[in-house]
Amino acid sequence: MSHIIFDDKRIELDDGQTVLSALLDSGYEIPNSCRAGACQSCMMQAVEGDIPDGAQQGLKDTHKAQGFFLACSCTPVTPLQITPLNSADSRITATVIEHNEIRTGILQLRMKPEQTIDYRAGQFINIYKDDNLSRSYSLASVTELDDFLELHIRRIEDGIVSSWLHDEIKIGDSLQIQDASGDCFYIPGTPEEKILLAGTGTGLAPLIGIARDALQQNHSGEIHLIHGAKQIDDLYMHQSLIDMAKQFTNFHYHASVLQADKAVDPVSTDSIDKLILEIATEASEWKSYLCGDVDIVNSLKKKLFLAGASMSNIYTDPFISATS
Amino acid sequence: MSSLFERIGGEAAVNAAVDIFYRKVLSDDRVNEFFDGVDMEQQINKQKGFLTMAFGGPNNYTGKDMREGHKHLVARGLNDSHVDAIVELLGATLSELGVAADDIQAVADIANSVRDDVLNK
Repeated sequence: MSHIIFDDKRIELDDGQTVLSALLDSGYEIPNSCRAGACQSCMMQAVEGDIPDGAQQGLKDTHKAQGFFLACSCTPVTPLQITPLNSADSRITATVIEHNEIRTGILQLRMKPEQTIDYRAGQFINIYKDDNLSRSYSLASVTELDDFLELHIRRIEDGIVSSWLHDEIKIGDSLQIQDASGDCFYIPGTPEEKILLAGTGTGLAPLIGIARDALQQNHSGEIHLIHGAKQIDDLYMHQSLIDMAKQFTNFHYHASVLQADKAVDPVSTDSIDKLILEIATEASEWKSYLCGDVDIVNSLKKKLFLAGASMSNIYTDPFISATS
Repeated sequence: MSSLFERIGGEAAVNAAVDIFYRKVLSDDRVNEFFDGVDMEQQINKQKGFLTMAFGGPNNYTGKDMREGHKHLVARGLNDSHVDAIVELLGATLSELGVAADDIQAVADIANSVRDDVLNK
């Protein structure tokens, strides 16, 4: 017999009893559906203890790395402390150390958190303007390389939080942020794998973060980053990416600029969907990360999937505009 | 005698089949309009649930779930011809994976057993 710790309580498990069944028996309302390890609606997170074999079957690598498991398929043999997903409500103060408009409408914001936060490049954090108003932004910084957090914030027309960050926040100000979450990040362990990173607008922030993270972990397979834009002026960090491609022989940068006057490498006038399918010719061999505008992310996801990529090898960070 | 679910290969077979099956569904003009605009990630998980059930595996689906889950699609014109197409694509998926013809028929029978609930008949 083993037990779980949930909601600060110790719950005993009968032999062979699943975590889901024990929680339901104790009166907790836990979302669940198929109870067969398929639908993933009962996914929870282990904060301490060993997750038994089988409780993570079918989950994405990035979920496994965060200790996520399926309560319906989890029969612990040793004590396990668990929480529901996204329950961690730990706000942290961070101080702004850089505030640059790196291109019209795009703010590069760097800040130092008061305490270390545990994150992987490509995950997102929430910034709170006040107790009830927050927005999520994805991380371009890399834990092992940067002693600050970096975000790229696009000015949204009538956007309360983005306008505030652009116009009112300055170096030295304190911001309230929340721990990183999200499952769009680099997973070490398969250094020879081919990686495709594609997106539009400030989707570049997580893409750059994931690329730098992969390279600093000595990823040896090809990495292609494709940034899509309407006009040449919409590109940013263009020169840094060109320099990065010179520095790392396995890193390649492509810009898809639909309305560019001329297509000179790395700029192409082909659409981003055309470019990704040209690069990932055998789609099943690639791991893809798609970030930025939600419609573009979904359309690229579908194209890659239909071209043969496995859904479990496609990671996405769709930006959903909040309406307020 | 092993169960149908075991013979097909259990949970591992579900994971292997789901991409192939869903790709067929999205590429098939007879049925893909019903999948426009759905979240593909969630849909893959639902498809896994469906395949687990159809392969004779453990599941907790009730007729009510099936009815509720497809009501909005029936309103958009979901009918027997679409269920036929799905059962056909399911069979094609399994045959690609090398499943024996008898077992494919058994899976089709299970899928057909929920037809009336799916179509809210």
